[in-house]
Amino acid sequence: MSNTKPNLESKNKILTKLHDKQLVNCFQCIKCTSGCTALKLLELKPHEIEKLVNLGFIDELASSDIIWTCATCLKCVQRCPQKASPYHLVMALRNLAVEREAKVPEAFMKAVSQILEIGLAEDYRKITTRTMETFDREALKLPKISVPKESFQTVFMKALEER
Amino acid sequence: MAGQYGYEMSVREVFSKLDVELVDLREAVCCGDPVKSVNNFAANYLGARVLTLAHLTGASDLLIPCNRCHFTVSEAKRLVENDGKTGQKIFSLLKEEGLEYDPQTRIWHVIDFLHDLVGLKTLKKTIVKPLKGMKVASHVGCQLIRYSDLGRADNAENPRKLDELTEAAGAVSVDYSEKLDCCGSHLSLSHPDSALSLGGTKLKAVKSLGVDGLVVSCPECGLMFDSKQRDAESAVGSKLDVPVVYYTQLLGLAMGIDLRKLGLHLNQSPVDRLLSKIPV
Repeated sequence: MSNTKPNLESKNKILTKLHDKQLVNCFQCIKCTSGCTALKLLELKPHEIEKLVNLGFIDELASSDIIWTCATCLKCVQRCPQKASPYHLVMALRNLAVEREAKVPEAFMKAVSQILEIGLAEDYRKITTRTMETFDREALKLPKISVPKESFQTVFMKALEER
Repeated sequence: MAGQYGYEMSVREVFSKLDVELVDLREAVCCGDPVKSVNNFAANYLGARVLTLAHLTGASDLLIPCNRCHFTVSEAKRLVENDGKTGQKIFSLLKEEGLEYDPQTRIWHVIDFLHDLVGLKTLKKTIVKPLKGMKVASHVGCQLIRYSDLGRADNAENPRKLDELTEAAGAVSVDYSEKLDCCGSHLSLSHPDSALSLGGTKLKAVKSLGVDGLVVSCPECGLMFDSKQRDAESAVGSKLDVPVVYYTQLLGLAMGIDLRKLGLHLNQSPVDRLLSKIPV
């Protein structure tokens, strides 16, 4: 990442996505990194991601696997004394990656298309118990779940176009 | 809830025992949690939509038994109520479906509903079979308690409500240093092996406590610790064998509700060991 140039236009995009989150206030206290659940899996630590974004190195991050390695445990949001919140930053970078059609883990896109199709991220499934019995909702006397009308699909598509 | 029917069944049973009427939302769709990573605006639209559906039922309190849904809907509520421009955009999308947003709707999770609204005193009156001699560890889960600025169901660094509820059912809830560690479920979407190793590591710590089981209150955590425990065993290379139950299942047992009504035959972890501790 050392030979690339900062991209301030991308940085502004991220700032807009963050609404009122005060990214620029990060003073590198490393509290986020100290408590990070995914730390062992990360090539860049949360406070380093904050710094890179502040310097404008967005494009590299948006196309990297690093932003998809957050466990969303929210400890960094809780503990940041400056409300710079690496979690929200990572989410904004993920959104940018999707817009740019960068490499996005399949499961996320699958969840969105399932929601469009059936309203839910995952379809209801039968389960097999530890004694190898099989049950579905009906067998367990759980109520049927009603399917959303077509108008939902139309509106959700519109929502997905918003950036 | 990703096949976590035991949680759903036990919530329904326990709430009916407490004379709390639950009305199912009609045409409910996803809360928006997995969409947050893809398009935050669309996720907030979905979260706000859940709130409008609650309003449609005529109820002013919305019960969300899942930590992640609870977090997503809470963030959506805050956004549409505080960010005028985004809020208006979302309200007009909702109107296209004939839905109207009502800021009065209150959001609850099972844990704060039972602890704060029902109260430990009332809860204790429903206990007919106190779980004497049972020792468990509790896992409240990340998204229910963080981040405090948003308004969460319990204290972020020292959550006690799940422990107090567990003790109200007659069991002992032990403290342990890994209590706040994450189950890793969200990583299943991008790094499934790492997710299992996170979940397995926590289960290993719980096992070393010598407790009778682990109590959870989120279907995502339940999925990791209970349904995927076998896979987690191979990820961490050790036998785990930790009985994992939902709090509502535990409470239901203490209320004298039948095992199968609480969906305890659906848990994948070795819950029989925990059940053998129940006084006859």
